[in-house]
Amino acid sequence: MGWVARALAGPTLWAVLFSVVYALHGTGCNLGWTDRSVLFTDLHHAAMWVAWGLGLVLHGALVVTMPKGQEGRRRWIIVAGAWIGLVSSVFTLFPVIATSTCF
Amino acid sequence: MTDATHSGTASGVLPDGTAIDRADIATNPPQRALHLHRELDRVWADLPGWRGFFTSVNHGTIGLRFMATSFVFFAIGGVLAMLIRAQLATREGAFLDTDLYNQIFTMHGTIMMFLFAIPMLEGLGLWLLPKILGARDMAFPRLSALGYFCYLFGGSVIVLSLLFGVAPDDGWFMYTPLSDRTHSPGVNADVWLLGVTFVEISAMAAAVEITVTILRCRAAHMPLTRMPLMGWYLLGTSVMMLVGFPPLILGSILLEVQRAFDWPFFDVARGGDPLLWQHLFWLFGHPEVYIIFLPAAGALSTIIPVLSRTTILGYGAIVAAIIGLVFLSFGLWVHHMFTVGIPHMALAFFSAASALVAVPTAVQIFAWIGTMWDGKVQMRLPMLYVMGFFATFVMGGLTGVMLAMVPFNWQAHDTAFVTAHLHYVLIGGFVFPMLAAVTYWMPLICGRWRIRGLGEAAFWLILIGFHGTFFLMHLTGLLGMPRRIDVYPGNPEWEWLNLTSSVFGMIQSAGFALFAFDIIMQWLFGRRSWRNPWKAPTLDWAMPVPSPSYNFASLPGPRQPDADAILPLARGEGLLPGAPRGLRETLVVEPASGRPQHVAVLATNTALPVLTSAAIGSFFGAMLLGFYWLAPLGILATIIVAWRWGAIMGSTEDRAPAQVAPDLHLPLHFQVRNTLALTGAVALLVGDATLYASLLFGVGFLTVVAPGWPAPPSGLEMPVLVAGLAAVAAMAVGSVAARLAEANRARPSGHLWTLVGTGMAVLALVMLGVVAMGLDDPTRHARDALRGVVVGFAVAHGVIAGLLALRSHLDHRQGRVGANRYGAIPGWRLFQDFWLATSAISLAVVLAQEVL
Repeated sequence: MGWVARALAGPTLWAVLFSVVYALHGTGCNLGWTDRSVLFTDLHHAAMWVAWGLGLVLHGALVVTMPKGQEGRRRWIIVAGAWIGLVSSVFTLFPVIATSTCF
Repeated sequence: MTDATHSGTASGVLPDGTAIDRADIATNPPQRALHLHRELDRVWADLPGWRGFFTSVNHGTIGLRFMATSFVFFAIGGVLAMLIRAQLATREGAFLDTDLYNQIFTMHGTIMMFLFAIPMLEGLGLWLLPKILGARDMAFPRLSALGYFCYLFGGSVIVLSLLFGVAPDDGWFMYTPLSDRTHSPGVNADVWLLGVTFVEISAMAAAVEITVTILRCRAAHMPLTRMPLMGWYLLGTSVMMLVGFPPLILGSILLEVQRAFDWPFFDVARGGDPLLWQHLFWLFGHPEVYIIFLPAAGALSTIIPVLSRTTILGYGAIVAAIIGLVFLSFGLWVHHMFTVGIPHMALAFFSAASALVAVPTAVQIFAWIGTMWDGKVQMRLPMLYVMGFFATFVMGGLTGVMLAMVPFNWQAHDTAFVTAHLHYVLIGGFVFPMLAAVTYWMPLICGRWRIRGLGEAAFWLILIGFHGTFFLMHLTGLLGMPRRIDVYPGNPEWEWLNLTSSVFGMIQSAGFALFAFDIIMQWLFGRRSWRNPWKAPTLDWAMPVPSPSYNFASLPGPRQPDADAILPLARGEGLLPGAPRGLRETLVVEPASGRPQHVAVLATNTALPVLTSAAIGSFFGAMLLGFYWLAPLGILATIIVAWRWGAIMGSTEDRAPAQVAPDLHLPLHFQVRNTLALTGAVALLVGDATLYASLLFGVGFLTVVAPGWPAPPSGLEMPVLVAGLAAVAAMAVGSVAARLAEANRARPSGHLWTLVGTGMAVLALVMLGVVAMGLDDPTRHARDALRGVVVGFAVAHGVIAGLLALRSHLDHRQGRVGANRYGAIPGWRLFQDFWLATSAISLAVVLAQEVL
């Protein structure tokens, strides 16, 4: 099952990251994080940026490490899975960059 | 004993003792095929006559029953659709009154989704999987039969409600507050909630069944990466069902509890929120589209290369696309809720995910087109339906991308445009491929060839009728016609479009009727089909037609990888030939590599599944009729019958290993730990964990989003929290006891630990009872209601964990546990840990609510 876990690692990380950022979005709106400034932005945006950024770093690590030691079709599917996760996280969560948050 | 042993000079056992790491298994000597057939048929055949209907557990029988029953429901749903079209054909249609119209469109959607599409794919999976993977049956034959009877009984209740005028009438999505007790005071909504939940038992059963079968019941040395694509598609489907259905089941339970006992999960005035229902419903509802689409795509990936006389293009890309679809489809449920007032950023997340999901779908479309381009397409009847799929589904996909864009969605929301889109997706993406599948596999089902001409005529009627009906509905939608209205006296501009749609709808119905007639004619009067009529390479055609009850006289191994092995397999040159022990045996392999591990002895004909479904049905019946005081008796009846399932399992003695091939001997499953049952328990707990996660989502959602919060001050006293802690501590001791019980299973005193586990379960349940009595009134506020549900979840799991501990104890006392025999202990241990983990999280959530 180790191979299956490797192939699913990227999409699984996307699912976790998507859930975390969506949960942060709801929590931040409820707790008024938009009114608390952090550096040049507000706490709400900052929290989601940090989560998203850390997630993308982890995705990068998966892209590099997951396919090691695998060959042929087994390797191809792992590589594809890792990239699916990375692209999905970049594309579905890019709205955290600048979109308005709680309205 | 290890899981696998070899004999002879070529023998070898892996260090972990669970698998054989080589593919050169010697062939068995040839035998007389007729002798093998008789021996196997005696063991695998259904009982004759009416007893066979109630006792069969064979995957072939159950799968065909699922498909045949789903076609009956499809016909009923189709008649309801025609009633809708008749009503809408004119502006002031007087054909149906509003109440009846509401029931009919609700029933049409409910039947097509829950009583046709899902059971149809379950039936196809149950019937086809062992054949295409090289096994004799599914992993849990009794579970298949239980699922069928739950489907039959639940579906019949839902359909019969229409005859009594109490059918659901709130739309197939059952939105609250329309469906709460205030706005829907009759039993109509209860029929939906209880009936669909009853039917969903069959979906969960099939999900577990299909997952375990694909992972562990494949041909020897068939790795996942070389499995037929149909296996990948059905694996994706079953995993999605395990994760997709629990939110709906949870939502239905919450809504029924609100209706029956006034717990305010969706009542704004008391801290609830109707949007929680929508979230839970669409957490199921959107993945459902892909749950339906994936098996259909699997059929396409099987049929297209065969009828193009080539191999599939881009196997790896398709597998990656399936993985992508399985995950991404869970990230777009909110696109059904773009108009309910969700913040812009959240809309953007889900809009992006909705657009992105088109990519893996397109990858598959291009792979299929490339395959046809690469080969030489034979335009035979299944291929016509494949062409119908392309013409329809691609359009549905494109309108789907349109609807994924928030501004367009706001304009088209709840109009006939959306109705047209979903029919293009569902009929294009499921019905056309299923019709292709039925025509493709009919010779294997009935052993006969079809009558020329009828099928083609049916195809053209369906295709023309469908596009004539639903293409025009895009236009009526763009002209602003809302869905679900029964008259439109002020909008004459919609009338000609609706009238034309209705006429084409009737043509489409005639096509489906002709299709059914064609299938019946083939079954009754078709000439005898020859073997492998399509010259397909897959293992489903490596058997006689019609397929025998046991599928393969000997199981395919590395030397019999495809349909060309039909004669060697029939002569017993494959693995595990015949039924020398008079048992229903099939091979179990390691999930990823397909290395043989052990031989599973499967259940034979029994009435337990139908009795169990009747017991479960008695609970649902009592709830439906409002006899809430009787419902616990239904649960008790279910427990009594379910106990019997476990009581007849296991072995009180060590069995000799089975000879699978000349130099390969494998143990029977009684003597291994990692059985199909344990894998099934893991799969079931994945679904269970999803239900629990959905519950936590509900707690989080209501806490941060719902109006009417913060909740009133809690009346929880310190003794209640102490009792909660004591319950969790008892569960933890139970988990330790389960480990010690397994470690000491060979010792005479080992049963003491199972006794400790049983005692701890009882103690924990008593403590949970103290907690339950100390909770605030659950009708007071949604937070209190959710706490009641959390405690109920722990109690329900405690009862099951306690029964498993008791079962383990009796297994030990009766000799089903020993050095090489595990009885129910591994399952108990798994469940006990799950109970402990979820209860600890629940306690932490309640404490957090008190402190924060």
